[in-house]
Amino acid sequence: MKKIKIIFSSLVFTASLLMSTIAQADNIKIGVSFRMLSDVGYKHGMLIEDTVKMWNSQGGINGKKIDLTLYNDECKSEKGVANATKLAYQDKVHVIIGSSCSSVTLPMVPVITKAGVPQIIPHSTSSKITMTGSEYIFRVPVSSRFYKIVQGKFTAEQQGKKIAYIYVPDQASMVFAKEMMKYMKDEYGVDPVYQVQAGEKETDFRSYLMKAKAANPDVIVLSGLVDETVRMLVQSYEVGIPKSVHRVANSVASKVEVPTNAGKAAVGVVYSAAFAASDTRPIAKKFVKMVKSKYGVTPGHDFSQMQDLLDMLKPALEQVNFTGNLAADRNAVRDSIAGIRNFTGLASGPISFCAAGSPECRDGNKTPVMIEYTRGGKNWKTAVAGTVTFKPTDGL
Amino acid sequence: MLLKTKKLMKAFGGLKAINKVDFELPKNEIRGIIGPNGSGKSTFFNLVSGVYDADLGSYIEFDGHDITNEPPHKVGELGLARTFQLLRLYQDMSVINNVMSGYHTLVPYKFIDAVVGRKKIWDQEKVIKEEMMELLSFVGLADYAEMNASELSGGQRRLLVLARAIAGKPKLLMLDEPAAGLSPVNVDNLMKILMRLKEKYGLTLIIIEHILKVVMDTCSKVTVLDHGEKIAEGTPSQIKDDNAVIEAYLGKKMDDEEMRKALAV
Amino acid sequence: MEKFKEIIRQYPFLGFIIAFFILMAIPSIFFTDLYQSHLSSLIFINIIVAAGLNIVKGYCGQVTVGHVGLYAVGSYTAGCMFMYLGASLWITLPIAILVTGLFGVAFAIPSFRLEGPYLALATLGGGEAIRLFIENGEFFGSTYGISSISQPELFGITFDTPDKYYYISMPIMLIAIYFSFSVLRSSIGRAFMAVREDPISAAASGINVKKHKMLAFILSAMFAGAAGAVYAHLPPGYIHPNNYTVIEMVTFLAMVVFGGLGHIWGGIIGAVIITIVYDLTRPLYEYQLFIFGLTIVLTILFMPKGIGGFIDKYFIDRRFKKKQGVASK
Repeated sequence: MKKIKIIFSSLVFTASLLMSTIAQADNIKIGVSFRMLSDVGYKHGMLIEDTVKMWNSQGGINGKKIDLTLYNDECKSEKGVANATKLAYQDKVHVIIGSSCSSVTLPMVPVITKAGVPQIIPHSTSSKITMTGSEYIFRVPVSSRFYKIVQGKFTAEQQGKKIAYIYVPDQASMVFAKEMMKYMKDEYGVDPVYQVQAGEKETDFRSYLMKAKAANPDVIVLSGLVDETVRMLVQSYEVGIPKSVHRVANSVASKVEVPTNAGKAAVGVVYSAAFAASDTRPIAKKFVKMVKSKYGVTPGHDFSQMQDLLDMLKPALEQVNFTGNLAADRNAVRDSIAGIRNFTGLASGPISFCAAGSPECRDGNKTPVMIEYTRGGKNWKTAVAGTVTFKPTDGL
Repeated sequence: MLLKTKKLMKAFGGLKAINKVDFELPKNEIRGIIGPNGSGKSTFFNLVSGVYDADLGSYIEFDGHDITNEPPHKVGELGLARTFQLLRLYQDMSVINNVMSGYHTLVPYKFIDAVVGRKKIWDQEKVIKEEMMELLSFVGLADYAEMNASELSGGQRRLLVLARAIAGKPKLLMLDEPAAGLSPVNVDNLMKILMRLKEKYGLTLIIIEHILKVVMDTCSKVTVLDHGEKIAEGTPSQIKDDNAVIEAYLGKKMDDEEMRKALAV
Repeated sequence: MEKFKEIIRQYPFLGFIIAFFILMAIPSIFFTDLYQSHLSSLIFINIIVAAGLNIVKGYCGQVTVGHVGLYAVGSYTAGCMFMYLGASLWITLPIAILVTGLFGVAFAIPSFRLEGPYLALATLGGGEAIRLFIENGEFFGSTYGISSISQPELFGITFDTPDKYYYISMPIMLIAIYFSFSVLRSSIGRAFMAVREDPISAAASGINVKKHKMLAFILSAMFAGAAGAVYAHLPPGYIHPNNYTVIEMVTFLAMVVFGGLGHIWGGIIGAVIITIVYDLTRPLYEYQLFIFGLTIVLTILFMPKGIGGFIDKYFIDRRFKKKQGVASK
């Protein structure tokens, strides 16, 4: 009996502890659901926390403090949906930031649409998300529909049309490879010389690479998550695919780990992203320096997109006149975000939204940049191979 | 004949654990099986109850059914129950559940009735439980019904195993060293219970026992095994005087005085 | 009180009807927001899986680590039937249960020869194989997942929000518990326990060990299948192979272990507590897995029979004392 009492009271204690963290009603509430598993994942979370702390220390938004609620979704849709529901109905946030994985963001959309909470996406690129037609969803990164065109055009016109594809079963990696294949077929009428889906968490891609090599391609597309991309790049040299065969990766290649861990094998890899760390604009240089000193890594476009998101969210929130009526405030926040035009931040092009809940309006960034690694290893370097700005309807 | 074996054989590698044993047991008899350690007594039980498969050429018949190499649960269903030398109690189950699971083959309702949870099931379960409680009070464990079997003392465990074996109302009960490790008082108690059981349920019994006193006092006939072979069979008094048995046990003939000592234990 | 208890014992169905009405009333009395309904549905789904897992793991003693694969089979049977045939939960649920039951047969076969850690490894491989098969199969939507699976309709109401779906998941959960109770309290449940405790001695009592292992696997697979189908239709109706990994399996196992292996309430108590604690610790995401692991270790160290065993001990002790008290008078 005594033990039961102890267990019960400790449960009550934890519950009350957690309740106490729920803050006052008239603050602005931002909820985040995010994949915070790896070291870099946690650092993205820290970036949000630090930025919001800074806003609060500078007097908040129009004098209102900001409450930040951060949840981990572990890149799992079950957790993501639960987080979105909790943020929308229990924590009663005004805006949700999230998520990293496309497969998590996608099922969150119907939840937040029904609840009427605006959600702004920092990382997910899958074109399907904005095609749901929700009025509450906003995307800061470049949609995969633009990536496939810029990558396809660049590859076909500058590198060659005999292309081999190796991709892993992760949604973004798969969408990238498949959309590019489709684009090459539709635009240029070429089929892949070789294509294969590798197994999940596979570490040895050499058998696939050997087969790809046997097909004698001009270009080899290696689409995977960070670790897989690194391994595929390194192993492509191990099986003797010559340097003259162009290596193409998806936007994951913009992450720091790729050039650092792939070393020499990263040299010559071409990928499209929303931001290049070699960007010479002062704002970009300042940001790279800040992240390096604060978080100890050179930022890829995951960091820059998160920063852009926060930088554009603040003025949007400042324009909202919070009334205390949750539904009205949420709609006001949504309209205010939808009113963002030509935001110039770290991204290589301006970001604009508009009122309609369509991919034309909600895929904010339409300017992917083609980047090439010129040096691998710790002091990696990139060069911008080209920048294209698309019309809102391209790639639909 | 209730149980009959012909040319029963079992070899483990080169060792013939049971070698061409012919065994016949009529109904309502209490038979003792004795023999030195390693003589094949437990193997004999395991072969008959189906735990081991017998070698080619063996034949086992129980109650008119050929049970050679039948799986143990089939043998159990036919009404042959047994206990084990190592007890094999269901440690983590309550005493009453131990006994009730021995009743398994007699449960009247069907699987589907149980899944649907029809009311008649609970009525029948109640009847079964009452019957099993009666059995428990018969062996003197009724007060411990809700306790975990692992909480019982050694003597109580032996009684519980006995109760579990009887729960299925077997035609033949084979007891593997039921009195091992019991104090003399408990041995007497066990023997009394055994005799009463025989009368009440009309059991046929086979008892393996090292304590010769148990065998000599309760069994009407004794079979002696040595090195897997049947070396003698007869009434206790016949066995006592059998030269082969005495040699197998003691290596030499004893005089009466020595014999009395050996049997007193 | 005693009389009431006796009536419940006589008509177990009555208890479930009372529970049904209590649970029907809970949302309107206690719930303040939709998330609590969503969480309740998740708890109910976990209860179904854990109750099933308790049959095979707790009662029959077969160490299976592939149950999450069966849960996935249930989800994807429902998902695919919706995707290709537009079927609603009322059709997908029974078919998912049947299909998963068939998969249960495949999981039972290794248990005839393997035990303990070896069986765990075999079933682990089976569960992962199912997930990888789904992940790499275009037919199953691979890593796109299957989205906007419809919500069921009844009496002209579409149960398309968490608060409405509560009234779908709750009765299904109650029915599942009812079945698990009926089975486990009958001679079959005793036979399962006997198989767990000592298969040789169980066989000597005339219990067909293989048949009961098979039965336990099929039954618990059916529970997992039902849970999977209910999850697939849970708003917003999205399933993705990432939700069926070993981590989810460990969570299910933790529920059964924490609740009490082989206790009739074990899986249920565990599912409720673990799901709620997991949710309460959501803001402490950095420490969540740590807290979780610590709970399991402490449970195994100090309460090896889980909460269920703890409660059992308390009640039995009390009953024993009562008896002694009566005797001394």
